[in-house]
This record gives sequence, structure tokens and C-alpha cells, in this order.
Amino acid sequence: MKLPENVRVGPGTVITGDHAFKRFLSRSSPGLTIGEHCTMDGTHFAVGAEGRIQIGDYCYFTNAVLLCELELRIGSYVVIGWNATIADTDFHPIAPADRIADAIACSPLAAGRPRPPIARRAVVIEDDVWIGPNATILKGVRLGRGSWIEPGALVVHDTLPGSRVGGNPARPLEDAAP
Amino acid sequence: MSPAAARRLEGDWYPGAIPANVSIDETAYVQTSFSFHLYRSAEPEGVRIGRGASVYLGTMFDVGRQGRVAIGAFTLVNGARIVCDAAIEIGDCCLISWNVVLMDTYRLPRDVVKRRRVLQRVPRLDPRRAETGVPGRPIRIGPNVWIGFDACVLPGVTIGAGSIVGARSVVSADVPPGTVVAGNPARVIRALEEGQAPWRE
Repeated sequence: MKLPENVRVGPGTVITGDHAFKRFLSRSSPGLTIGEHCTMDGTHFAVGAEGRIQIGDYCYFTNAVLLCELELRIGSYVVIGWNATIADTDFHPIAPADRIADAIACSPLAAGRPRPPIARRAVVIEDDVWIGPNATILKGVRLGRGSWIEPGALVVHDTLPGSRVGGNPARPLEDAAP
Repeated sequence: MSPAAARRLEGDWYPGAIPANVSIDETAYVQTSFSFHLYRSAEPEGVRIGRGASVYLGTMFDVGRQGRVAIGAFTLVNGARIVCDAAIEIGDCCLISWNVVLMDTYRLPRDVVKRRRVLQRVPRLDPRRAETGVPGRPIRIGPNVWIGFDACVLPGVTIGAGSIVGARSVVSADVPPGTVVAGNPARVIRALEEGQAPWRE
């Protein structure tokens, strides 16, 4: 696979899938750093111009969707399940007037109009976190070391180290080992 | 139908084959062998697809060495992720929507130290599979069940005949027959009426 020039990948890391860099628009240097011995299978690195993603060692992602306009900081031994989505941005403004301005700025008639400011906050995923399939992690969240995110969970708050969360919105669960 | 040798599907865009230990009824429809590119069951019959059933694009049989999947007659699987290390049984006349995850195993241990050990081994494997022998707990889906898109059905769950699972639900507990459940975690919304329950006859 031909990597964009601002992507750094450590030895033993394998990236597969046709969509990995289809939406990689980062102009950060580097825009994506992946450590050693990672397996990035069918993962989307959808990174905006100012976005940057950092991933540690021995991570295993299956068809994860990483949407980054600012920063995703992911530790080592992190597992992300199929079709899980991580986003550090709201993508569009909240206020109705700003959204009108944004719709026009995103249109074919934008004629160079700038987009209004959009809320974005870094997502931090510490070492040893497990994220199940179809889970969603939204902006500003820090997943504490070793936390376990159940399949389909929608996470909007930080998780404590070693905790297990699930549901929409995700809440702490009894820590019965699955 | 008894399993034969690995074989090609007619008009398949993917250059793969249907594995030898997959039984597909001659009246069933499987869109592409791509659905089997993660399949590695060593069971005598790893997947059985019944009469008039259909399996569309996007469905993935991520079936481990000891996994067994059975899909009933006239059941429609429209792009589900089937993660199976034990057994997943889907009854007759079910409707399974897109991006549904049916998983009878979490594949990786909850214990961080054990999980690290697995993840350190993965890069040396070809293909790289994160598997550990964490025991699976079978999923049973009764006949005439409808599962909405993006829903997850977790290990050990049984869904009773005729029930409906709302879109994006996460089902972690058993669902009685003739019941509508929805939400994350899924809760009972209401019972279907007697007259709406032909499966009881």
C-alpha cells in the first residue's frame, strides 16, 4: 500500500483495506503515526487538514472508523472492533445560523467562503482499552487504561481505568468478566 | 445436502470459493464468497443455509475453528457480521438487517495481562487473527424473528419466536417469544398480540 508522505508506520505494522486513506486529508506533520506490530484491518483514517492521529504498539483494529479533525491519541494494546466509530468533532456547528453558513460553505457554490468554527476536542484512548463492534466514542472523551467498552455502546463521558461500560449513553456496568 | 468440495459461485465478483464444509441448499441464494473470507471452521458442517434462504453482500461469516452457524429456511440475512466460535442458530423466516452483529464470543479475554499476551502473539500469525479460545456461548434466534439494522446480539442470548429487535438495540438478555424489544441495553417495549402470532400454530 502507498502511504501518504506524512504517515509514519513502525516495523511489523500491517495496514490492509481499500479505504484506509480515501479520506486522509491531513496536512499535519506527521498526520498519522502508528507504532510497532499493529494490525489495521480495513480501518478508515478519515483525517481533516489539521487532524493528527497517534497510535501505540500492538493495537488491533478491525474496520474501525476514525474521524479526526483535531487529535486522536491512542495507546498500546488497544483493540477496536468492527464498525466502531471514534470522532473528535461535531462535524458541523450546533447553532442554526452557523449551520446555514456551514451548509453554504460546504456547497459547490461556496466560492471560497470559510466554514464557521466547529466544536472539536481530542479523544484519548489509554493503553489496554477494548472497544466492541458498533460502539461510538465521541469528542473529548478519555477512555481510562484497561477500560472495556461493550458492543454498541455510545460513549460521551470519560471512563475510569479498568471499568466496563455499555449502553446509550454508556454507563458503568458490573464488571462480570465476559 | 451433503458438503462437497470447495466451489465457486456463479457470477461471483470475488475470486474466492465456498468452503467444502459449508452446506447451501440448492434453492438458497448466497451473493458472494467474500462472505467467507474470514471463515475457518473445521467442524463437519461449519455453516448450513436452508431452503429458500438468502445471504446478501456485506454478510460476514467470521467463524472460528469450532464455530457452527445454521440459517433457517426462507431467512433473509442482509449484511450481518456473524462472529461465531461456538454456535449461532437462526430459525426459519427471520429477517436480519444490515450491520447487525451476532457474536457468541468476545474473542479476547477481559483480563488485561492475558489480552496483552494474545496481542503480542498476533503479529507473528499469518493471517493475523486475535483468537484465544475464550469459550463462546451459543446464540439461538427462534423462527420469524426480525432484527433491525446496527443491532448487536451478545453471547449466550436466546431470542424467542416471532420477536422483533429494534434498530441499534444491544441485546444482552434473553427475549421472550412474541415480544418487541429496543434500546441499548434492549428492554421490552410491548408484546405482540395473539392474532399476530402464527408461529404458535
